Formats: sequence, structure tokens, C-alpha cells
Amino acid sequence: MSATAIATGDIGSEAGVRPAAPRRIVLLGNPNVGKSALFNALTGLRATVSNYPGTTVEIYRGRLAGGEAEVVDSPGLNSILPMSEDERVTWDLVQSVKGQEGSVVLQVADAKNLRRALLLTLQLGQLEVPTVLVLNMADEAEARGIRLDLAGLEQALGVPVRAAVATRGTGVGAIREALPDARAPRNHLPLPADIAVPALDLLAGRKVAPDAPANLLSRYHEALLAHADVITRRFATDAEPAGSAVSRRLGRLAIHPLWGWPILAAVLWVLYEVVGVFGAGTLVDLVEKGLFHGYVNPWAVALFSHVPGAFVRDLFAGEYGLVTMGLSYGLAIVLPIVAVFFTAFALLEDSGYLPRLAVMSDRVFRLMGLNGKAVLPMILGLGCDTMATLTTRILPTRKERVIATLLLALGIPCSAQLGVVLAMLAVVPASAAAIWFAAVAGVMVTVGWLAARLLPGERGEFVVELPPMRLPALSNVLAKTVARVEWYLKEALPLFLVGTFVLFALDRLHLLGVITRVGEPVVTGVLGLPREASAAFLIGFLRRDFAATRLFDMSRHGGLDVTQLVVAMVTITLFIPCIANVFIIAKERGLKTAAAMVGFIFPVAFAMGGLVRLLMHALGYGGAP
Amino acid sequence: MTTPPLAGAPGGAPSACPLCGFVYVPGGDSCKERGCPIAFGGCATWHCPRCGYTMPDEEKSAAARLVRRLFTRRPRPAGPRTLVDLATGTSAVVERLSGEPDLLARLTAQGLAPGVEVHLLQRAPTFVIEVGETTIAVERRVAEGVELHAEPGRP
Repeated sequence: MSATAIATGDIGSEAGVRPAAPRRIVLLGNPNVGKSALFNALTGLRATVSNYPGTTVEIYRGRLAGGEAEVVDSPGLNSILPMSEDERVTWDLVQSVKGQEGSVVLQVADAKNLRRALLLTLQLGQLEVPTVLVLNMADEAEARGIRLDLAGLEQALGVPVRAAVATRGTGVGAIREALPDARAPRNHLPLPADIAVPALDLLAGRKVAPDAPANLLSRYHEALLAHADVITRRFATDAEPAGSAVSRRLGRLAIHPLWGWPILAAVLWVLYEVVGVFGAGTLVDLVEKGLFHGYVNPWAVALFSHVPGAFVRDLFAGEYGLVTMGLSYGLAIVLPIVAVFFTAFALLEDSGYLPRLAVMSDRVFRLMGLNGKAVLPMILGLGCDTMATLTTRILPTRKERVIATLLLALGIPCSAQLGVVLAMLAVVPASAAAIWFAAVAGVMVTVGWLAARLLPGERGEFVVELPPMRLPALSNVLAKTVARVEWYLKEALPLFLVGTFVLFALDRLHLLGVITRVGEPVVTGVLGLPREASAAFLIGFLRRDFAATRLFDMSRHGGLDVTQLVVAMVTITLFIPCIANVFIIAKERGLKTAAAMVGFIFPVAFAMGGLVRLLMHALGYGGAP
Repeated sequence: MTTPPLAGAPGGAPSACPLCGFVYVPGGDSCKERGCPIAFGGCATWHCPRCGYTMPDEEKSAAARLVRRLFTRRPRPAGPRTLVDLATGTSAVVERLSGEPDLLARLTAQGLAPGVEVHLLQRAPTFVIEVGETTIAVERRVAEGVELHAEPGRP
């Protein structure tokens, strides 16, 4: 295409020698500019995901396809000055590029929104970081009638500028060729005198003089924007206001005061159908009944039947066997569910619906002392409460973080647990399933409402950027899903095995019977469940989903009636979160807060279970009272 | 049947009878003078002095006051024109931003700054604005801090 052919670099050739190819490339840019797509195009989908040291921020790393250089994808950001945890990670990465020979920043910009991208480019210039600027989504810009003068921009900024359509791989070759010519963007920005020095101090990570103006950051951004505006006007024409009609209309409908609700309901319904019915029903049946009951478990029993000594045999293939229970729960029941959930979740993420969900739910969350932004940790909590607890850091005030953490620990089932719960609810009448939902939602809203009034502190303002709705790219969705499933297996499976071993050991030591007797007044007396359910709740201290799976297993073998099922589900959904989550709560919010939360949640879960039991008997559901 | 007219209390707002159209000032002591047994405990109705048609006294009903409050637009505080005053579907140029320094830093980093044109897309469930190619959802509290140039922008 013509845009990429322009300017094959008079920059960098002044010295006559071609500079060496960089060894490390850090991708940087505003959110939703196609960084991940370009990352995939550059690395050829071989990425590893890891948390940036000491943070929850996911960083994708890979090798340049057919090359040696390391490619790092940083979280999207709007300003290099760190205001949030994500931005601090990117700021850190930028600083590391600055201090390292052979490292460059590859800034990815939305060709339609040059003005905001240039705010970052100008900051990179002030930091004197070698940069190449990519104007991505050039096709969309062209469709909107935006004409970009790449050569002019190169002259004005002093860095290589290339156009690309990363989703189709267009322009990727030209970008790779431009990398050795990376330069620090030109830096002669007229900043107002009183903010020039403190802003530079902030950028460089130095202490800011105490007499700096209070609104230093916004005034600095305003000055950068003014300069970016001048450059944009000179080298890019204005967009025609159309845009993709379908995506635009869908994006508006999703936040419509009226139509937004049916759309929200439809999204949740599809999620339930896919994760609950297809994942937890069809897939689990296929893997559990077909593969594990058909082959793996008999095979394990047969294999260990040759082993002398009942101890080893039972350890692996007995009632609480590491293979027959631990692996079978972890791989046959939970894995299909989380794999389907993570796929659905990645689709939602990439479609641009999640911020719109935040808009729709702002009112509900305000009732609970939070704002719509809190929907993101809550939705993430449906994946894993532990990770979600870490992401509550995105909430601006301590009050909001405590409330969100409590609600997550109390009422949000993680993907594995949700899947198991959905599978169990699929066998009871819809009205009984509604009781489960109403009980859990009711407890959450009540507790949130009370917490909002009792806890001191303020609520932060709701500001969320709405990216355009897009059709998710299959490669992005797959890469994300696979990375998350891998992480889940590494984290959950060992705990499943530990949990199984604890049960096995307790059984061997004849302690399981003791615990069952001790738990009987509550489990049988209050909840009306069979006494064997005690073991499930005991193991719930380790992982809630493990406990749910145990109850699921019991119900599948005809051990529970409708009332018992719903009571069990309500109790285990509200039950204290898994041990990993308790650790994280203690780490993030302090030991005292964590202890208070556990001390609060434990009785609430059982009390609510007992209440639901009474309610269901009053309503005439089956089961002996 | 004709009822002798009841004298209105001075100072109240005049009201037109929905039945006969007579304009009168409701209230007053005339009921008491005429010997109504509940007039001493506070009657919650008034009557047209000409035809006797009965109307509820909304001022004496807490429920009616609540409904009235729900349906009356709060008087706009006299102050600068902000995003809240902008009609849905129209544009204006930002004059000034006010709020916490952190919030302002965030808004300006997203491209919302003095001198740029904003377009208001909707106001519920939250305010949604377009700034160039960027769409941002903000709550009312934030929208109130976005002050606009006095002259209306182009539609």
C-alpha cells in the first residue's frame, strides 16, 4: 500500500552505517489501538503471559518472528506519567528502555486518533527514548476520509512513522525494517514555566518540588494536547463523522437507557447457555463420563491393583484417590468449564462490551458505595476471585476497595464454582434456580448497602472510556484463553491434589468421621443436608469450587433433593473464599480486615442457607423438613 | 344545590375550579365558621366557593409533596454553563474543567481539555460524550465540572 511505501528512512542513514537491529522492543500505546494484534503479528502468536513483578498486571512477552529480539506488550495507557498500577508498569518499561542499549519503544497509535497518540509521543520525546511510531488501523482511517502525511509527520517528530493494519499483517515488514532507525522524538515543546521542571521530574521519577501547582498533571497534559493538536491539524485531515454504522449503532444500543437492558440480559443468557449448559453440561459429561469414568479411572484402578499394599492403592485410586478424585475433579469437571468460560470472557473483552456493562451497572453499584467501574473486578471474579481481589486496586479509594473485596469474597462465585453451580441448577426447576440467584444477589446488595453506609470514606468518580465495538480476532481470543487455562492449571490443580490428599489423610486417621459428627448440628440441623456434606464444606476452606464439585458429585449420584441442592448451592456460593483468596485479602487489605471478613462471611453463609431451607419448605418444595 | 360561597384566605395562590371554572383562593377559616366538625383537626380538602367541588389540599399530603418533588426540575444553580446543561445530541467547546487534581489528570490524558469540542450523546444511565474520536462515559458529578463556552456549539 502507498502509505507504507513512503519514507523508507532518510533518518538514521546520516552516518552511512546502518545501525544494529534492536534486541528488545517494547510496545506502547493508548488502550484499544490494536497493540495485541500487532504483537501477535510481530511474534507469530508465540507469547508467554506473566504478571509484571510485584503486580497483577499481565505482560505478554514473545520473540520477534524469525529474529532474536524480545517483544514486550505493555498495558494500554493515556499518559506516561504513572497514575494507576498499569501505567506504573508501562512507565517502568519505558525507563528500562531508556537505560538499555539496543532497546526501543514501538508506539502503536490509532490512525484515526492521532491527537491522543501524539500526547504519548511528545512525552517519549521529553524522556529521550528511541521510538518508532506505527499508525495502526490505517484502513479504518482511510475509510473515514482521514489522509495522513507520513513523511511530514516523520519530519516534524523526527522518528520513523509507518502505517499498518495489524489485524491483516499489512505494514509489519516495513515496521521491522524501521526498527533500527528508532530515534527519540523531537523535543522542543514550549511548556509553561511553572510546570516544565516538575513535569520533567515526574517523568524521570524524581521527587517533585513541594511548591509545584496542585493541578500540575492536568495542566501538563493540556500543554501537550495543544502541541499535539497543532501537529495533527498540519499532517492529518479531519474525519468524516460516519464510522462503521453497525458497530457504532450496536455500541450506542448497548448503553441505551432502555435497550441496554435487554442487551445485557441477552449477553448474560448467552454466557449461561455457553458456560452452564454447554460447558458444564455437555462437555463435562463428555470428558467425565466418557473419558474418566470410561477409561482413566478404571485404568488407574487396574494399574494400582497390582501394587501391593492398600495404602498406595487407595492413595491413588481409592474413594479419595489422587487420580480418581483429585485429577478427575480438576481435569474432567473443572477444566472444561473454565476453558469455555475463559473463551467466552476473552470474546467479551475483545468486543468492547465490558466498559458498556460498567455504564449500565453504574446505578446498582452506586447503591453499594461503588461505581460502575467496580463491575470489572466483579466480572473478573467470575473468572477467579483471587485475581479479581488484586484488580480491586483499580478502584480509587480505600472504602471502595474494601467493599469490592468483601463482595467478591462473599457472593461472587469463581468460574469453576459458577460452572459447577450452573450445572447443578440445570437439574432443578427454574423457580428454584431463581431462589439461588435472589438469595445470593440479595445478600450482596444488602451487605454492600450496609457497608457503604457504615464504612468511612468517599466514593471515586466514574469515568470510563468506551472503545468502539469490534468483532474479536480469533487469534487474540485463542492466545488469551490458552494463556489463562495454563495459568489455571498451574495454580488450581496442585491445590486440588492437596485437597484430595487432606481428605484421604483425614479418612485414614478416622478423623473424617469425627469432623462429620462435629459438623452435623450445623450441616444436618441447620441446613438439612446429609452428614457427608460436612466433608465438602471442610474442603471448601481450601477451595470453594472443590467443595462445590464434591456436592455436585453427591447430587449426581442421587444424594440430594431439590431443597437440599439449592441450600447447598447458596451456602457454598456465600462460603468463605478459597485459601489463596484469603491470603491475598490479608496481603492487600491487612490481616485484621481479612479476619473480620472471614468471621463475617462464615455465619452469614450458614444463616442464609438455613433461611433458604425454611423458605423453600414454606413454598412447598420437596424434601423432608 | 347551591352552596353559599366560602371566603378565601388572603395571600394564597388562586386556583381554577376543575368543574365550574370559578377562580378562587383556596383555604381559610370559612369551614370552621360554617361548623364543619373536622375543620378543627385540619381538613385535607378545599371546596370551590361557587359549586362546592372538592379538591385535595396537596400541601397537606406528604405523598403528594414527594410526587411533586420527583416531577419538578430542580432550579438550576446560577453558575457557569456545564455539560449537564447541554442538550443531548449537541456540541459545545470546553471552557474549563473543575474537580480533584487526579480526576482532571485522567480526563486531560483522555483528550478532554479546555478548547476542545465535546458532543453529548446521552445522559442516562450515565453521561456519554464524544471528544474527537474518543467516547467517554462519566457520571453526573463529573459532567457538572465540565464548564462550556457560553455560545452554543454547532448541532
